[in-house]
Amino acid sequence: MKRIFDAQLLGPAIALIVIATLVALTTDRFLNPGNLSNLSLQVSIVALIAIGSTIVIITAGIDLSAGSMVALLTMLLAEMLKFMGLPLPLAILLVLGCGLTLGLTNGVLTAYLRIPSFITTLAGLIAFRGLALLFNNGSPIFSLDPNLEPLFYGSLLGIPLPFYYLVFFYGLAAVVMNYSKLGREIYAIGGNPSAAALSGINVRRVQTYAFAIAGFMTAVGAILMSARLNSGSPNYGQTLELQAIAAAVVGGASLAGGRGNVLATLIGSLTIVVVQNALNLNAVPTSVQNIVLGMIILAAVGVDMWRNELSSKISALFSLSSTKQRGA
Amino acid sequence: MKAERIQAKPMTSISEIKEPLWEVIDLVKRYPGVVANDHVSLKLFEGSIHGLLGENGCGKSTLIKMLSGVQPPDAGRIRCRGEDVQLHSPTDARAKGIATVFQEFSIVPSLTVAENIFLGRLPTGKFGGVDWAAMNREAKAVLAEMEVDLDPEDITGDLSVAEQQLVEIAKALASDASMIILDEPTAALGLSEIDHLHKLLRRMRENGCAILYVSHRLDEVERIVDEVTILRGGQVVRASGETEISVDNIVAAMIGEDVGEHYPKTNNSREEIVLEARGLTTAKGVSDASFSVQAGEVLGLGGVLGSGRTEIALGLFGVDPLLAGELKIHGKPVKIKSPMDAIRAGMALVSENRKFDGLFPNFAAGGNITAAGLSSITRAGFLHLATEDKVTAEYIRKLEISPQADSKTINLLSGGNQQKVILARWLFCNADILIFDEPTQGIDVGAKLAVYRLINELTAQGKSIILISSDHDELLAMSDRIATVQHGTVIGITKASELSHVDLVKASSDEATHKLQESAA
Repeated sequence: MKRIFDAQLLGPAIALIVIATLVALTTDRFLNPGNLSNLSLQVSIVALIAIGSTIVIITAGIDLSAGSMVALLTMLLAEMLKFMGLPLPLAILLVLGCGLTLGLTNGVLTAYLRIPSFITTLAGLIAFRGLALLFNNGSPIFSLDPNLEPLFYGSLLGIPLPFYYLVFFYGLAAVVMNYSKLGREIYAIGGNPSAAALSGINVRRVQTYAFAIAGFMTAVGAILMSARLNSGSPNYGQTLELQAIAAAVVGGASLAGGRGNVLATLIGSLTIVVVQNALNLNAVPTSVQNIVLGMIILAAVGVDMWRNELSSKISALFSLSSTKQRGA
Repeated sequence: MKAERIQAKPMTSISEIKEPLWEVIDLVKRYPGVVANDHVSLKLFEGSIHGLLGENGCGKSTLIKMLSGVQPPDAGRIRCRGEDVQLHSPTDARAKGIATVFQEFSIVPSLTVAENIFLGRLPTGKFGGVDWAAMNREAKAVLAEMEVDLDPEDITGDLSVAEQQLVEIAKALASDASMIILDEPTAALGLSEIDHLHKLLRRMRENGCAILYVSHRLDEVERIVDEVTILRGGQVVRASGETEISVDNIVAAMIGEDVGEHYPKTNNSREEIVLEARGLTTAKGVSDASFSVQAGEVLGLGGVLGSGRTEIALGLFGVDPLLAGELKIHGKPVKIKSPMDAIRAGMALVSENRKFDGLFPNFAAGGNITAAGLSSITRAGFLHLATEDKVTAEYIRKLEISPQADSKTINLLSGGNQQKVILARWLFCNADILIFDEPTQGIDVGAKLAVYRLINELTAQGKSIILISSDHDELLAMSDRIATVQHGTVIGITKASELSHVDLVKASSDEATHKLQESAA
């Protein structure tokens, strides 16, 4: 367990506790059970997508396509349920498969055709939303399967279902990233792709898998989005990819690759959602909320940069003192 | 010609006559695990060409980096006309009168010749815009003064390498520098171009520049420089005026007297052939290379930088695909298309560039050691981490790696510890044929000895080693046989005991001369 709950969790956790305390002190309704429950529902979609974003970031890539992919996948799900009359379980499986395939496409373009992931997924960001508009003349599709909404709003033993999804997927991701060969290889190619290739790791394949995982998690998020709003819309998921990336970075993932912790990303997602929730409770307009989200991303990347600088300074100091010791 | 050369080289140092223009006093620069410059001092005089010489890794590059503001010294002073000078950045160094022509050019290929010459200080006109006419006029004047026939408005990237080099030098000249540093300026030039450059340098000398000249081509050094400083192991072993400027004297000083004392070589070579390479050819500089390696043998690859030694290693290891040639391991033909195949066939590559091709800076020792052998600790897709911990602890103890390696990420360790961790990676794979490319580069003496002992231990177990090293002493002492590599092919294999250091250095400079004749033809 030491491996999963390592020191990387500490900084983001402290940040979350400080922010949550500040919010609780300044906003009375924040600690209402109703609000907290709403908060956990709100965090679930971003947090599930952020698992994929984090894994891609650890490989030193980036996935900008998640938000648009959510829109496309909610439209696909709505189309299947409303117009094609597919049973819900089959439609869900198909949407998961579509997410996986879109992620694989991002991966193949990046890893095998060597187009930088920023570009492949930027193309996805633009194109997927365009594809979403092809369905139902670009209009949202409402009132889907009656069994869809309970997937989001239902609860088990008094705890909302999304909580269980978070536990399941974060648990799985943490185990894969810390204990599986694939997880180790993902960290390796992000840390040093050249050394990974010379160590016999199939760098391209691992890179592709990372994007496929991201596509799959985006599909999970899309299904919950549809369930939450009982609809599909080409407008869903805007800036969701950025919130997911912000969650990863707030959780300490390094955009340079090789460093990051999925559980810390959960903390990062919570931090962002708590801030958004506080703004909502204080009736701050959406425009300002967007400005704040921008600031959070900026601050998080800034902290990432300073942290690198700081740790390299520490390492320089360390190596100097070790030379001195040897000399003495 | 010879007489004239000797006349031009006074044995007494100029320092007794004049005050130095630039002076370096007791500069110290440490890198993790190695002191790259250990109290280096030298004086540069107006109107003098000063040769800075030494073998690879002697500290020349470090000194140049400090003088051109790329890296700050840890201790020591740099003085100009008797006053202390701090060089905070390359721009700062340039502003204070030091122009450096680096081995890798710093020109921008998409800009014109004139734009490159005045890069960073374009002449401005009335309204703050660039005065293009003035810029081209001044560039033309500089080029004319150099007697170089180049159009200032040509795109630099379209020029030949030699012409680009001249643009670099024009850039240095146009900045009115009082010290010009040339790092291997002739590496890319043919004979006539070198002559031209030398003429130019002599004129710059007459104009009162102090010139610091770094080159591996000792024959041309002999022709052009007025005085030499020779570095070895980060220290000045011959200050200006202490060496007669002749190839033989310089080589002797560069090599040093204490050759062959720290190499605990044991001979474990057996008759049995383990690896046989015939006619290896790759797109990246290996052409028709043939050699074989015996069990328990260290086969050294000798040759200069860029002769194709590393490229042979990359071809063997499946990094650069083989266009032609065949490879047999234990007598059986093998096809190696990727490092994965190579590892499966029992090969290992400790690459030349530890930082870029070896280390996983985000892992502690454990992840670094098992990286090439993950399959062996994987069951049903999951890693057996207890085994990894056990193996790591064993290698840390056995190779005397710093115990901190267990918990600290590897980028925080010294070069020697890093190299030991990478060696452990390939020991963990249990490879039979280990390729060591510059295994002791940038690590301290203690770690070097550990590497040598490891080589002995491996060969005693019957494993074979291909050793690539620019450290000639090391190569001679640790190899059983040495294959000399030139232009990507093996031109001969000799028993190491039948070769001397001088043979190797001469062979290297022979190739330089050979290249020279080729480019002239």
